[in-house]
Amino acid sequence: MLEQLNSLLWEILDDHLTVAEASWLQEQGNATPLELMTAFVAAPRFLAKRTTKPTVAQNIELNEILEGFSVEDWGIVRLGRVWLLSCLDSTHREEYCRHIETLFDTAEMNELVALYSALPLLAYPDQWLFRATDAVRSNMGVVYEAIALRNPYPYHHFSELAWNQLVLKGIFNDKPLHLIYGLEERSNEKLVLTLSDFAHERWAAGRWVAPQVWRLATRFLNETLLDDMKHLFESSSEYDQQAAALVCYHSNHEPALQLLANYPHLQKVVNTHHITWANLEFSDLNTYVSKP
Amino acid sequence: MCQNHKEFEQNPSHFEESEEVVSQTDLSWESHRSLIEGMRFFDPHIHMVSRTTDDYEAMRDAGIVALIEPAFWVGQPRTGLSTFKDYFSSLVGWERFRSSQFGIKHYCTIGLNSREANNEPLAEQVMEILPLYLYKEGVVGVGEIGFDDQTAAEEKYYRLQLELAKKAKLPVQIHTPHRDKKRGTERSMAIALEHGIDPSWVIVDHNNEETVKSVLDQGFWAAFTIYPFTKMSNERMVKIVDQYGPERIMVNSAADWGISDPLAIPKTAVLMKLNGILDEAIRLVTYQNAIDAFAKSGQIDVNDFENGLTIDQSQKFNGNTILRGGQEPDAKKKNTLLIK
Repeated sequence: MLEQLNSLLWEILDDHLTVAEASWLQEQGNATPLELMTAFVAAPRFLAKRTTKPTVAQNIELNEILEGFSVEDWGIVRLGRVWLLSCLDSTHREEYCRHIETLFDTAEMNELVALYSALPLLAYPDQWLFRATDAVRSNMGVVYEAIALRNPYPYHHFSELAWNQLVLKGIFNDKPLHLIYGLEERSNEKLVLTLSDFAHERWAAGRWVAPQVWRLATRFLNETLLDDMKHLFESSSEYDQQAAALVCYHSNHEPALQLLANYPHLQKVVNTHHITWANLEFSDLNTYVSKP
Repeated sequence: MCQNHKEFEQNPSHFEESEEVVSQTDLSWESHRSLIEGMRFFDPHIHMVSRTTDDYEAMRDAGIVALIEPAFWVGQPRTGLSTFKDYFSSLVGWERFRSSQFGIKHYCTIGLNSREANNEPLAEQVMEILPLYLYKEGVVGVGEIGFDDQTAAEEKYYRLQLELAKKAKLPVQIHTPHRDKKRGTERSMAIALEHGIDPSWVIVDHNNEETVKSVLDQGFWAAFTIYPFTKMSNERMVKIVDQYGPERIMVNSAADWGISDPLAIPKTAVLMKLNGILDEAIRLVTYQNAIDAFAKSGQIDVNDFENGLTIDQSQKFNGNTILRGGQEPDAKKKNTLLIK
């Protein structure tokens, strides 16, 4: 897998690099570990600030090799750094891990973004679990996003507790949840109960929560959550109402379907797929201030 | 730039009629800040780790669009390598992020400060990790380094760091000592020249009336710190710009954990304006010269802040952070009793 990824990432890079940039980067990829690490740090001195746009075919291929992984809209420096990491010789575990740890320990913000983006590509995945949960604790927005969004590492390796923290922090900070790989699949009863408590606190403060968060509740409706759905159906926000309708529709939970039947117009738009979760996937919400 | 100086002569300022600069006791910042409306400022020396979000808001509001945070002594002597490492990391990490939340572009210089150079066993270890930081994005120099007590250890690490700067092709930001300043400044410059460093790559900081001439004559950049009591006052600064012109002179606040003022630059700009210093000269000493000096690092792209730093929505963070829950940095909010 890693070899395929390494060459595909290079192919994407090569489409975007000047001849001088490409030759510098290629040389560093073949260099000794210490030189490679220095190149990882110094990359912005040699690579321009440009954004990468992989082709549709490249995106498909990337997803086939490593589902959920995406380099869409990455800067060249970030992609170059991740590619460099994929060149690092991992034969000797101790040495390999020491090098990566050093990069983490001394990283500035954009280096952290590259390191966390690269987690699904690194050897010895268990080794990086603490780092990964630490990124969720980070209050630097871009660092959180590097681990949480379009990154399959948490889905495969996080415990339920760590997963729930990742999702809750995303909700708390209005992150685009739909970009979390495996969001609905890893939803669980505990997460949904916490979400309900959280929503109640928000409502008590005269605030609200992003409508799409309720998709987490679909498989876990109980009395409390059903009450929450009633609250949403009665909300003045159309999006809240649609969210409640979608949850009920997808739940296959008899009391929820009965509740939905009380709102024939909403029942119709979800039954006919005129409204799907995709309609509620907002990327720039501020639930502390205004409704969308 | 010499032409600018001639312009000063052609446009006699207030000084030629009176020895005193404008210095009414009722000069208030609020009633004069409109004089610099629309001006942009660059503070090439300020220690934001010691400052609050109120300061960031006030700075942005006063027109400061970018700053340089030199690595310095944090007041409490460090006892281990890890605290140095975490400090350097915060200069390129957390503090850079914090600044971005207020729309101010944050750069830094990295170095072993002169005070802590005296702890030789620790200094040795710090020297080993410096290269890991010097090549980082947004690191615009080696600094602040130089002399404090002017000990042998200080000289040793000053020299070693000059070599690092040469290798990394970075400017040098020199801290000149509080005590025995004149001799310390001369010695710092002589050593830099001895190491073959081009003086146009060296910013000599904390100058005063006694040091400035020699610094400029030898081709170095002369930085002035507007800092109450121990360094320059901005009234004296106005006289210096009037006397020497704006070439290779820059003003900074060096605001830190002591009584200091993060608005030192905009306030000095107001005072220069009141005293008839030309707008172009003000622009040079409060903005452009610092950019020209530190841009030699290749790490400053004025497009990043020239028209205001866009606060990237994706970087906003509402959690346990500075801008919680949809907050917008806004100094005017302070006048209301309501905290929402």
